[in-house]
Parts: sequence; structure tokens; C-alpha cells
Amino acid sequence: MAWLHTWSGLLLGWLLLAMFVTGTSAYFREEISLWMAPELHHSQPSPDTPALAWAALNARAPDAKRWDIHLPEARSPVAELRWQPDTPATEEGGRRRGERAVMDAGTGELLEPRASRGGDFLYRFHFELHGVPRLWARWLVCVATMFMLVAIISGVITHKKIFKDFFTFRPGKGQRSWLDSHNATAVLALPFHFMITYSGLLIFMVMLMPWGMNAAYEDGWRGFFQDVFPREEAPAEGGAAATMVDIAPLVARTRATFDQPVRRISVDWPNRDNAVIRVSTDKAPHITDQRRGGNPTLVFNGGNGELLETRPGDAAVPRAFRVYNLLVNLHLARFADPTVRWLFFLFGVGGTAMVATGMLLWVSKRTQQLRGKAPGFSLRLVNGLNMASLTGLFAAMAAYFAANRILPVELAARESWEIRVFFLTWLLALGHALLRPDRRGWIEQLATISVLWAALPVVNMTTTDSHLFSAAGWRHGALAGFDLVCLMLAGAWGYALWRVARKAPVPARKPGARPARRAAPARAAEDGA
Amino acid sequence: MTVITVTLPLTLAYAGLTALALAMKRHHEAALGAKPPPARLRAFRIGGWVLIALMVASCLRLWPTGLALSMALGLITLAGLPLVFLLPYRPRLMVWLAPILPVLAVIATLILT
Repeated sequence: MAWLHTWSGLLLGWLLLAMFVTGTSAYFREEISLWMAPELHHSQPSPDTPALAWAALNARAPDAKRWDIHLPEARSPVAELRWQPDTPATEEGGRRRGERAVMDAGTGELLEPRASRGGDFLYRFHFELHGVPRLWARWLVCVATMFMLVAIISGVITHKKIFKDFFTFRPGKGQRSWLDSHNATAVLALPFHFMITYSGLLIFMVMLMPWGMNAAYEDGWRGFFQDVFPREEAPAEGGAAATMVDIAPLVARTRATFDQPVRRISVDWPNRDNAVIRVSTDKAPHITDQRRGGNPTLVFNGGNGELLETRPGDAAVPRAFRVYNLLVNLHLARFADPTVRWLFFLFGVGGTAMVATGMLLWVSKRTQQLRGKAPGFSLRLVNGLNMASLTGLFAAMAAYFAANRILPVELAARESWEIRVFFLTWLLALGHALLRPDRRGWIEQLATISVLWAALPVVNMTTTDSHLFSAAGWRHGALAGFDLVCLMLAGAWGYALWRVARKAPVPARKPGARPARRAAPARAAEDGA
Repeated sequence: MTVITVTLPLTLAYAGLTALALAMKRHHEAALGAKPPPARLRAFRIGGWVLIALMVASCLRLWPTGLALSMALGLITLAGLPLVFLLPYRPRLMVWLAPILPVLAVIATLILT
């Protein structure tokens, strides 16, 4: 079964690597989005934020059908306002898209962040790629995930020796070293790899195995979801115009009732005589909680502030559903405080290293078998694709972040241009990698990405006032953290560059001491690595 | 939760894994230079598992059960990586860090939290 591990690993490795890299970045999706919207960096939450948001919505959309206010929290310093205008749905059955604005949580001023997909682009790429029909992409990703599960299980079964070699790393031995580091990253983090793969499939359970649902519900997943996550529909008609109560006392009361900060306020039919206000808090994070909804909530009459209902949150989730929630929450790190989030990020880096070392091992092994002969077309192709999918992807990501700072703010379809820069850079890296699928190519790409990632904090410094040398850059840990991670990545790539470049292309040897034939494989192995 | 509180389970995991590595003949010879009698290997193995158990217990004090067990597995992974790289390059350092790091972690936790 070793061939199964080798070939499923290689063929899907390129896709898996991109999924690992973008997925790891998705643990900091909101932080990345914040970094990519410098217009929001000066917002500072205050106790008055709910009242400010209330006033802003009253000014902007007094006669909407529904308001939603997302208050600032640790990971986002702004208040997000959403509202549904009171107009008939445009398409039959289609939900009308609401409007959205971002508010400075300290001043109440509406902000206009530059158009950018932020961390969401990388997060979405992780499970539905880009520019491919969404359903196809999700299936492709799921097939790759399934193969990874197969690679994990077949890897454990066929390579039983890995447990004996649990702690073994033999440095400086070409293929052996790649094998050892592939083992170390794979076996040590086996629980993580298994969890992330299996739970990744669980997230798409409804798409992958719809049969039970389709048998039980006439309208398939729609009916299933309505049962599992009941959606509250507002009454169809708003009443007569009426004034609403102040929001601040309701927020204070909800906070006191559940002893958690208030996160969200929603209003059905604001400024009418049938207005209903719901104030929800954070939940005390628990790993088996629901993915969506289920936050402790107080429901108030909008006219007189009378308490209508107390909802304690999702204490009564059935046990099987809790198991599902456990795995899915682990995948998404939803419960995570910053420390746990950083740990998950490191696990993601470990997973990336596991896939990358496996792919480099494939090339290293075959290069060694050549015994100095020039590598053939297929080996050069694989080496080039490895390069493009590893260093090329990191070049594309750095270019994406740089484009966010460099592209003019008023550029039309700006968010698409950021993404175009991402793919053009990746394409460029692919072209370069296929032209030079050798040690020289690796050196050039490693040098490029070291410089690119090191340049990001500098570009940030010249284009915003929230950088490493300003107080604003440290006000939100996320901003300084982003720049520091860039520098660390630059350092890591620089070290890799140094290791690759240091090895002399021709090993020094005394003339006649060894036959030339035997010196060559070492050189070729280095070319492969 | 601060970063400091995680150092104790992390360093205990490192110490436990180091003991388990020293319970393997090949690594024992590489790190301590002597041919180990079977009794000593067994002692290292038992000690290693006791340290891992302590580490899991310290996770259970930090987090609710479900998260604690998941984090325990993750922290063992994280502690194993430096171990794997210290073993070939700096075996003596690897051995010495095992008792020192948990003590430092306890001190840091007591002072900083």
C-alpha cells in the first residue's frame, strides 16, 4: 500500500498544501481583515457604542424592516451595522440582500474602509478555491481531504516503523533527512492531522451525504436546516410609527443578567408599534456549542422596554450534535482565546510542513536514484510544481497583502484587483518554476519571498500610521502581530535560502580521491532539495 | 488565559517525551553515551508516562474537559518538535532542558499570574 500513500500524497499534495497554508491563515481571518482595512484602525470601543450605533441607524435607516448591530469585541474594534430596507423581495423566494455600514465605535462616525476581501479571500480559498463554480470546488476540496485521510491511514498502516522512529531525525543526509522530517511532522501531529481532516469532511457532511436528509424531508436540506437552526421570521407587516426606548438600559440589563459582554442587538420593525428588540451576549465559550446562534438573549418590547422573554442559550443541545459541534469547533477554533488560537496556528504550520516535506521527499528520493544522471522531464515538472505551490504561493500571498496597501483606494473593482495581483503573482512564480525547476530556481524564489515578506511591514509603515513604530500599531495586538509574523516568515525563508545556497554546487574533493561518478549524486540530491 | 499558563503543560510534555525518548535504547546511547540496563530503560518509560499524565492533569485544570484533552494532544505535538531537532544536534542540552524547563514554568506561572 506504500504506492497509495506516495501517489495520492503527490497528486493531491499541491492542492492540500494550498489548503493548509490558506487554512492556517484563516485562524487569523479577522485579524488579517482588520490589517487590510487601515481606515478602521483608530476605532476604539467605548461604553457608549450601543447608543452611538442606535443613533446612527436611526439617522441612516429609521424605517427599515430589521436592524442588526454587531458590537465591537476583542478581535474587531468597530461596530457593524446591517439593515433590511422595507421593500418587497426582488426575486421570488430570494432573500433581499441587506445594507451594511461600519461605524467607528468611539465617535459614531460611519467609516469607509477600502474595498478589500481581506482575510475572507484566503478563508474562502481554503475550502472553495476561487473562480471555480462553488459546488465543484467544494467537491474537489473534499476529494482531496478524503485522499488525505486515506494517506494518513495508509501511512500509519504501511509505515509501522514510524512509531519506532518517533524521535528520529538524521540531519544532512538528503533523502533520509526529508523522510525523517516528514515522519516527525506527520507522526507527532497525527492527532491534529486526523482531527482536521475528519472534521473538515464533517463540515461538508450535508453536501457529501445528503441521502438521509433527502429521505426525511421533502425539501431536503432546507427543511433540515429549518429544524436544526430555526430561523426567526419577523412579522410580515410593520405597525404604525412609534418611538422606541433607549437602548443603553436594555444593554446594561442583558449584561447583568448573563454576566457576559453584549455582542449583538437586533430589532424587528424598528420605530413601529410592534418593534421587538433582541439583545444577545457572548457565550462563555464551550467547545460543544452550536456553530451559529444559541447565544444567551433577552427579548424586549421595543416601545416600552418590557422584558418579553429570556433565552439562556444552547444548554440543551442533543448529545450526538455535541460530538459534531466538538469536531467542527476544533476545526474552526471557534472557542479559542488568543493563546489557543496561536497554538492552532502553529499546528497549521506543522501541517503545512508535513505536506511540504512529503512533496520534497518525493523529488529527493527520485533524484538520488538517478545517480547523477540529468533529471528527466517528469521529475523536473514535479520539482517545478513543488516550487510553485510552496514558494510561489507565499509570493502570491505577500503580493496580495502589498496590493492592499499600494493599489489606489478609489480604484474601481479594487477588491478584484487585489485578488488578480494574487493570481498573477502565483502564475508568474509558476512560469519561473517550470523554466528553472532546479536548485537555482529554488534559490531565486526563496530570495524573492524573503524580501517580499520583509518588505510588508515597511510598506505598511509608509502607507499607514498603524505600524510597528507607532502607538496605533500596538493598540490592537492583531496589527503588530501581523507585521511581526511577516518578519518571522521572512526570517524563516531567509534561513531556508541560506541552507540551500550554502551547499556548494560541486562538493570540494581532492582530485582522484573519489571517482567523479560518486560525487555527482550528492550534488543532484541537493539540486532536488 | 495568558500564554504563561500554557508553559507548564508544554514543558511537562517536553520532559515526558524526553524521558520516553531516553527509554529507547538507540536514543539513550546517543544522548547519555552509556549502554543502558533494561531496568533503567523501564524506569525512564514509567517516568515518561507519569510526566505525560501530570501534563494532562495540568491541562484539565486550565480548560474544560473536551478542550483540555484536545489541547493535551496538541501540546505534546508542539513539545515533540524541538525535541526531534535537539536530539541529533544537541543531545546533552535536550536532556538537561527536561528537568529545568518545567521548574522555570512553575516559577514563571507563580510570579506572572
